[in-house]
Amino acid sequence: MAEDLDNLIICKKCRTLHRKIDLPAKKVARCAVCGHKLYSDVEGAFAKAVSYSITSLILFIVANLFPIIDVYVKSNHSQLTIPSMISTLFSEEFYVVGSIVLVVVVIAPLSVIFSYLALWFLTYFKLSKSLAKHIISFLMVSRSWAMVDIFAVSILVALVKLFGYAQINYGVSAIALALFVMVDLLFLKSIKPVELWTYFSRVYYER
Amino acid sequence: MRDKYIRCPYCESVNENTDGVVYCRNCRNRISGRKEINLHTAWAMLITAMVFYVIANTYPILVFDKFGSISQNTIIGGVIALWDEGSYPIAVIIFLASVFVPLLKFFLILYILTNYKKPQKGSKRIDQAKLYHITEVIGPWSMIDVFVVSILATVVHFGTVKITAGIGATAFVLMVFFTMLSAMAIDIRLMKEDSSGD
Ligand SMILES: [Zn+2]
Ligand SMILES: [Zn+2]
Repeated sequence: MAEDLDNLIICKKCRTLHRKIDLPAKKVARCAVCGHKLYSDVEGAFAKAVSYSITSLILFIVANLFPIIDVYVKSNHSQLTIPSMISTLFSEEFYVVGSIVLVVVVIAPLSVIFSYLALWFLTYFKLSKSLAKHIISFLMVSRSWAMVDIFAVSILVALVKLFGYAQINYGVSAIALALFVMVDLLFLKSIKPVELWTYFSRVYYER
Repeated sequence: MRDKYIRCPYCESVNENTDGVVYCRNCRNRISGRKEINLHTAWAMLITAMVFYVIANTYPILVFDKFGSISQNTIIGGVIALWDEGSYPIAVIIFLASVFVPLLKFFLILYILTNYKKPQKGSKRIDQAKLYHITEVIGPWSMIDVFVVSILATVVHFGTVKITAGIGATAFVLMVFFTMLSAMAIDIRLMKEDSSGD
């Protein structure tokens, strides 16, 4: 009975029930009713997410270490880094805003990256099934709270407000941040829960 | 009639929809049952979020201290200022993200909460699931203005000219937070009535 249910999938968007079929590499299964993407080649998608999570970890560290923008107003100079932004919020006693920004811009994205790496380690050596389950659930929650992409767009909006009265130079981290968002959207956020769970059951139940 | 199958919101695996509490056979999360509690949670979170929305729009989100003279901007005030400066696209983006998106999300959640008890079939059910899907995608974008204020507060921080966040910013992030919790409570709710057979 359990085997039977594992071959089924319900569309997230329109809730139509489908039967899963094995997919050749790089093919995508779509909902027959609404066309929403159901799942794709799971081994490939997972391997990609893992290898790109190392890339995105490096990009994320660079994006945090160096200034994203340099702002010059007459003789004054200031810099935007992610840590300086969060420490500014805390030093001005905006603890709630500071904490939420810390979670959505730093902690959640890092959680996603490390979850992928931990999951790769566990599934590669076929270790603790229950820990792997918890990591997948944790990864999905972290992913819905990770908002680096929205933060990057906000920098553009802030620039528009600053253009009038300040001179702005782009820092090293601006490029790192842009690349991070690209990798994040293409490989880390695109893999679906169902793909991870299918991969999970293939590894641990050898289906 | 109850549907035969139910979709786990956490891991997407298909489960049998039995009486009472259903635990996902794959990830062991509770995915159905004790509906009233979840419904009440969704309502409580939604109402809290709405209160914070009102506060966020009443109090300044940004405080601008220029040579000792202090000007304060509410969200709407900021949008109007941008419009007057001629930054029309940005004014529209901020308006949509900070004012319109949260309202839309409130109405969608309200609609789902007030309609879920009525018997539903076919297309209406699909509409609700689609509506929920939309709220999930657009929700986080309302954080834009909070990020912008945080960025400005970091870089415009000189001796005589200084931008700081306002009380409105705190209310705003709390609004986003509680809206997300409310939506999460609903997703779990929707499952029981809403998974469709073939
Ligand atoms: Zn569909
Ligand atoms: Zn599950």
